[in-house]
Amino acid sequence: MQAIGKSQRRVDALDKVLGRAAYPGDLTRPDQLHMKILFAGRPHAIVKEIDTSKAAALEGVCLILTAKDVPCNEYGLQIPDQPVLCGPGSSKPYTDRVRFVGDQVAAVVAESEEIAAAACKLIEVTYEDLPPVLDPFESLQEGAFLIHPDKDSNIFQSYRLRKGDLKQGFQDADVIVEGEYHTPVQEHIFLQPEAGLAYYDEEGRVVVAAGGQWAHEEQEQIAHSLGLELDQVRVIHPAIGGAFGGREDISVQIVLGLAVLRLREKGIDRPVKIVWSREESIIGHHKRHAYHIKTRWGATRDGKLTAAEVDIVADGGAYMYTSNKVLLNAFIACTSVYDIPNIKVDARAVATNKVPGGAFRGFGGPQGTFSAESQMNKLAEELGLDPVEFRLKNVLHKGSLTSVSTSLPGIVNITDVLERCAEESFWEKRQGSWEIQEAHPEPEGFQRGVGFACGLKNIGFSAGYQENSWATVELYGSETIEEVIVRHAAAEVGQGTHTAIVQMTAEAVGVPVEKVRIISADTAETRDSGSVSASRMTFMAGNSVYGAAKAALKKWEEEERPAIATYQYLAPKTTKLDPDTGAGKPNFAYGYTAQAVELLVDPETGQIVVTRVYSTHDVGRAINPDQVRGQIEGGVVQALGYVLTEKFIQEGGYVRTDKLSTYLIPTVQDIPEVLQPVVMENPDPNGPWGALGMAEMPFISLAPAVTAALHDATGIWFDDFPLTPERVLRGLGKI
Amino acid sequence: MAHHMISLLVNGQKEKLLVPSNLTLLHVLRDMLGLTGTKNGCEAGECGACTVLLDGEPVNSCMVLAPELDGREVITVEGLAKDGQLTPLQEAFAELSAVQCGYCTPGMLMSATALLRRKPHPTQQDVQEALVGNLCRCTGYQRIIDAVMVASRTGGAE
Ligand code: FES
Ligand code: FES
Repeated sequence: MQAIGKSQRRVDALDKVLGRAAYPGDLTRPDQLHMKILFAGRPHAIVKEIDTSKAAALEGVCLILTAKDVPCNEYGLQIPDQPVLCGPGSSKPYTDRVRFVGDQVAAVVAESEEIAAAACKLIEVTYEDLPPVLDPFESLQEGAFLIHPDKDSNIFQSYRLRKGDLKQGFQDADVIVEGEYHTPVQEHIFLQPEAGLAYYDEEGRVVVAAGGQWAHEEQEQIAHSLGLELDQVRVIHPAIGGAFGGREDISVQIVLGLAVLRLREKGIDRPVKIVWSREESIIGHHKRHAYHIKTRWGATRDGKLTAAEVDIVADGGAYMYTSNKVLLNAFIACTSVYDIPNIKVDARAVATNKVPGGAFRGFGGPQGTFSAESQMNKLAEELGLDPVEFRLKNVLHKGSLTSVSTSLPGIVNITDVLERCAEESFWEKRQGSWEIQEAHPEPEGFQRGVGFACGLKNIGFSAGYQENSWATVELYGSETIEEVIVRHAAAEVGQGTHTAIVQMTAEAVGVPVEKVRIISADTAETRDSGSVSASRMTFMAGNSVYGAAKAALKKWEEEERPAIATYQYLAPKTTKLDPDTGAGKPNFAYGYTAQAVELLVDPETGQIVVTRVYSTHDVGRAINPDQVRGQIEGGVVQALGYVLTEKFIQEGGYVRTDKLSTYLIPTVQDIPEVLQPVVMENPDPNGPWGALGMAEMPFISLAPAVTAALHDATGIWFDDFPLTPERVLRGLGKI
Repeated sequence: MAHHMISLLVNGQKEKLLVPSNLTLLHVLRDMLGLTGTKNGCEAGECGACTVLLDGEPVNSCMVLAPELDGREVITVEGLAKDGQLTPLQEAFAELSAVQCGYCTPGMLMSATALLRRKPHPTQQDVQEALVGNLCRCTGYQRIIDAVMVASRTGGAE
């Protein structure tokens, strides 16, 4: 291995430390115009009328777009259930409604951002308010107000699982633990708020340059709404300032494309730029879903799980986004990594008039895992067993039947991952069984606790979707290969995928990394890579560049110059789940993860200080070890924000935390004293050079490990978070 | 809107500008001078992405009004490397993977540059204090701290 397994410097490092990397807001073109969006600002209403006359009369205003200007007024990643612009006059029914505060009602294009903003204030919209549906349980009820009147219920998606004989399972149990868990909304706070630039290129295509996670899908959605052919639209990804799932859905892209299209019809051929403020970003894009999980687990006295019953309600917010897929992940995660003979799960994602729930690192995994792992920690306590020992008695092995009644793919080494984490952290093996080591003395005024949790997360798209990714490898030179170009559309959102792709291409071709250059991020230059999500890109891109490199090398051997080959990797097939039993083979690869946490809590103030985190992951093979560790460190700190401080408040459908001063993410002073990534490398049979995906794994089980540590410190279980001082004090009965 | 004529030094270059009185330094840099290395993450003094050095002190450029700039000196991320030669701090950020998406990086570099000029051999705690106003959502911060510590041993800010 000459190119992979090395901590190669990022290919974009130089541009980024020099301030040269151009993010969407940094793009400018001479003569550009500026766009501002008029958001609904109310959770549920019918737009009766939009009067743009005053706004249009403002000097410097060039164009005002409303619903009637959108050729096909619908979009959505999973289903097109959201209007591009809400209001009367479009052909699709019910697009005259706003369903959350961030719905877009009009877009103004003007000579400056200030003029566009002033014009937005002059647009007069007449609304007829509708009752906002805010509680997902109410939304589920028969007769609830239909948020999408063209559907027959507010349920976006439901799943059902029946395995074994639940009644018997609970009869066999000596101990039964019940729990009700609520996980909060989380906002991505990628540092770069949404922005973009649109223009026509020389070939007459509408170009949209904006941050995203899947250029070809964005191209498709823009073309669909604009009524254009696919090849009339071109999507370019500039440097992207973080994503974490938050750029998986459309934000500014369609309205930008629409603006240049309508301007050209008016004879104005000028680029259009938009930059969202932080507040617009927080209101305008989806969030991690809030989940409500009620569950009951049974085990025998000697520590064998007998039954689990789980009821899941996900608050999907106003539109589908990826609620259906996120729910599938939670559905699988809600029994975590355990062999349970009798299981019943009912899960639904439902619409409310709140900010939509959607993709965020872990994608339903953290929510399902929080309930499952909390149940395991509580059962261990009830049974008087060590939490690691109790888990080891119940983990899935190669060939064991999962909740979906099939076995796990690949190597299944959950036991090894758990033991490694235990050993690296606070446990030791005494006389063949795991026990917590002697504790350090705690500082004056604090109580100390340690906690453990683990989990799994799929890699790649699930449940019958034919996973695929395209790559082209081009070999230049005469006698020897002097230059290699790899074309791959993977979005570089900060995770380091371009560097990993260059390394994997160099390895596959057999040249030093310095000879490889990547062309990416442009639908006119690359073919579809699929999205950067589901921890899939290293796995999918690696396999596709490997295939393309092999084919190109063959042509090189046959004296073709340059030798160019394009290859589509198809991942192993998966299947849909049976609608009655949930049985199926939803995934072709999983990552396993175990995490141990030590914290200190001040029982007088409710303040928690997480002091040590050991985050253990089998990554198959680390293509770039430093970047793997960087993903673990970043993922753990993001997960600490989720469990400790990040409190997203919506009242009556209105967002109350639309600033960085009210929605608090971790700062450099909030990181643990010790954050130890523990990286294991057992090659996956299908992964490129054995590599698995890993970027979501550090998020999966951290929350239940923290609440377990807090329980260890205080004796109290916390089934809701974030664990703000106020919540902690309330839990301790101090307020 | 009232306008002011100001003269200032930006990365060693003399600039004479007519600026509206409510314009911030962030927009002077990005929109008037085309120095887009300085980032906008909130325009409210809450993220640090817009940090620059004003007379050697780190400031959130989104919180400084242009008329205050007359006669002063500004250094941005574009002003760090000399003749394409990275500063030890930039070198350490690149080498130690202290950069992921990179959007916080210019601000981090400016805050850390100010620290190392003031205190060439800081403790980890000093670094944490100096960077507390600079948010990063990607890295988990440890690599950024490490990069500053390494730079303090390999030559500091310059
Ligand atoms: S943009 Fe100035 S502090 Fe955020
Ligand atoms: S590297 Fe992305 S915000 Fe710091």
